[in-house]
Amino acid sequence: MSPLLTRRSALAGLAASASVLAAPSVLAQAKPRVVIVGGGFAGATCARSLAAMGVAVTLIEADQRYVACPFSNLVIHGTRDIAQQTFGYDALRAAGVDVVFARAERIEPEARRVLLPGAVAITYDRLVLAPGIDMRFDALPGYDSATAERMPHAWKAGAQTLLLRKQLEAMDDGGVVVMSVPANPFRCPPGPYERASLIAHYLKNHKPKSKLIVLDSKDTFSKQKLFMAAWQELYPNHLEWVSLASGGKTVEIDVRDMSVVTEFARHKAAVANVIPPQRAGSIAQASGVADRSGWCPIDPVSFESRLAPNIHVIGDAAIAGAMPKSAFAANAQAKHCAIAVAAMLRGEPAPSPKLINTCYSLVAPDYGISVAGVYQPAKGLLADVEGAGGASPGGASREFRAREAIYADAWFKVVTEGVYG
Amino acid sequence: MPSLQGKSASDIEAAMTAFRTGGREATVMDRIAKGFTKRETNAIADWLAQAGAAK
Ligand SMILES: Cc1cc2nc3c(=O)[nH]c(=O)nc-3n(C[C@H](O)[C@H](O)[C@H](O)COP(=O)(O)OP(=O)(O)OC[C@H]3O[C@@H](n4cnc5c(N)ncnc54)[C@H](O)[C@@H]3O)c2cc1C
Ligand code: HEM
Repeated sequence: MSPLLTRRSALAGLAASASVLAAPSVLAQAKPRVVIVGGGFAGATCARSLAAMGVAVTLIEADQRYVACPFSNLVIHGTRDIAQQTFGYDALRAAGVDVVFARAERIEPEARRVLLPGAVAITYDRLVLAPGIDMRFDALPGYDSATAERMPHAWKAGAQTLLLRKQLEAMDDGGVVVMSVPANPFRCPPGPYERASLIAHYLKNHKPKSKLIVLDSKDTFSKQKLFMAAWQELYPNHLEWVSLASGGKTVEIDVRDMSVVTEFARHKAAVANVIPPQRAGSIAQASGVADRSGWCPIDPVSFESRLAPNIHVIGDAAIAGAMPKSAFAANAQAKHCAIAVAAMLRGEPAPSPKLINTCYSLVAPDYGISVAGVYQPAKGLLADVEGAGGASPGGASREFRAREAIYADAWFKVVTEGVYG
Repeated sequence: MPSLQGKSASDIEAAMTAFRTGGREATVMDRIAKGFTKRETNAIADWLAQAGAAK
C-alpha cells in the first residue's frame, strides 16, 4: 500500500466514524460502540477480542507502526533487527476493527467523547484507555526530551533503541557505560536487568576493556537472585550493580559533562542509558483518570476507572496491584477487559478474572529466566494467588536456561501473531 | 512452546494435574498450574479442547 493511499484511507476511516458517531449515544444505533485509545499490547489485543465477539470497535492509535519493547534489548545487543519488533494494523482492520490513526487529545467523560486534532470528536458507549507510559521529564533534574537524544532511555522501542545501539557500537573499547534505573513502579520490572545483562554480554565479547555501571534507585528487584548469580558467573569484570543503599540513586543528569550524578559521586559515561521515572500516558492525566501517583486506579474485576464512569484502563497505565507492567499482563488484562466490556454493554456484571503473567528475561542470548504469577481480585486490587507463581529455580542447568530462552522467543511469536498477525 | 492444538480435554487435565503435583518436569507450567483449582483446570481444558477442535 502506498503511503498516500494509507493516509487517505486513514482519513476516510476517520471521517466515517466521526460522522456516524457524532449523534448522541442515546439516539444512537442499536449497536453500541467501544472506542479504544492506544494500539499497543493492551489496546490492540482488546480491539481484536471485542471485534471477535462482534462488538463494534474503533481503535485510535497515534502511529501507523507499532514497535514492540519485548526483545528490543537484543536490538541493543546487536543481534536482532528492529524490523522483527515492528508491526502494523492491517490485520486488525481485516478483523473488523475500525482503525483511526490520530493522537487523541482529551476525553470528555460526561459527553462520552474522545477529542482528536481538528475538532473531530468520536463518541463512545464505553471507552478503553490503553496509552502505555510517558517518561516523566520533570522528575530527574537535567533530564528532558532533548537530553534523551544524547543519553537515550530506550524505554519506548524505536528510534531510541537504535540510538543506544549506535552509541554502544561507536564507543571505544575501554569506555564506561552508565545505566540509571528508577524506583518502582515502572514499565517492565526485570527489563533494566535484562538490558544490563545483554550490554555486559556485548562488552565482554566486543569491548572487553569496557564496563557497565548500573546505578539503581532500589535495593531489591525482580528475579534478583537469578540475575546476580548469572552476573557473577558470566560478567564478573563487566557489570557492576550499585544499589540504593550503596549510593545508587540518581539525583541529577549533567548532559554537558555526560555524567549521571548520585548523592555520593559523579559517574562520567561514554554511553549513558537513563531510564527515568514514568507515569501513565499523557491522555490519562489530561482526562482525569490518573491519580496523584500518575497512574490510573481501576476496579480489578471490570478494569473500569475508579475516577470516571464508562472508561476502562488496561496495560501499563493501570494500577493493577500485584500484576507487573508487562506486555504479557497487558495482553491478559485486555482479553478479560473485552469480556467485561461486552458484558456491561449487555447490562450484565463483569465476571471476575483469573489472570496469568509470565515475564521472560535473557541473561545471555541462550540463557533465559522467568517469573510467573497468577492473579485474582482481592480487597479491591489484583492479588497473587497464594502458592502459585515465582521465579525460575536457582541452580538449574544451562540446558534448562537454554530451554527458557527458546520459550521466551516462542512466547513473543505467539503473542504478536495473535495481536498483529 | 508446545502447542495445545488438537489435544483432548482429558490430555490437558492430566498434564495440568501432573504439573501441579510435580509429577511432570517443567520450566514454567508447574508455577502456573498451581494457581488453578481442579474445577478451574477442568473448565479451561474443556474450553481449550473445544477451541482447538473448532479450528
Ligand atoms: C526494554 C523493554 C523490554 C521489555 N520486555 C518485556 C518482555 O520481555 N515481556 C513483557 O511481557 N513485557 C516486556 N516489556 C514491557 C512491555 O513493553 C509493556 O508492558 C507493554 O508495551 C505495555 O503495553 P501497553 O499497551 O500498555 O502500552 P504500549 O505498548 O506503550 O502501547 C501504548 C500505545 O498507545 C499509543 N498512544 C498513547 N497515547 C495515545 C493517544 N493519546 N492517542 C493515540 N494513541 C496513543 C502509543 O502510540 C502506543 O502505541 C518490556 C519493556 C521494555 C521497555
Ligand atoms: C491456564 C493456562 C494454561 C494451560 C491450560 C496450559 C496447558 C499446558 C499443557 C497441557 C502443556 C503440555 C503440552 C504438551 O504435553 O505438549 C503445557 C506446556 C507448556 N506450557 Fe502451558 N498452559 C497454560 C498457560 C501457559 C502460559 C501462560 C505459558 C507461558 C509462558 C505456558 C508455557 C508452557 C511451556 C513453556 C510448556 C512446556 C512445559 C514447561 O517447560 O513448563 N503455558 N501447557
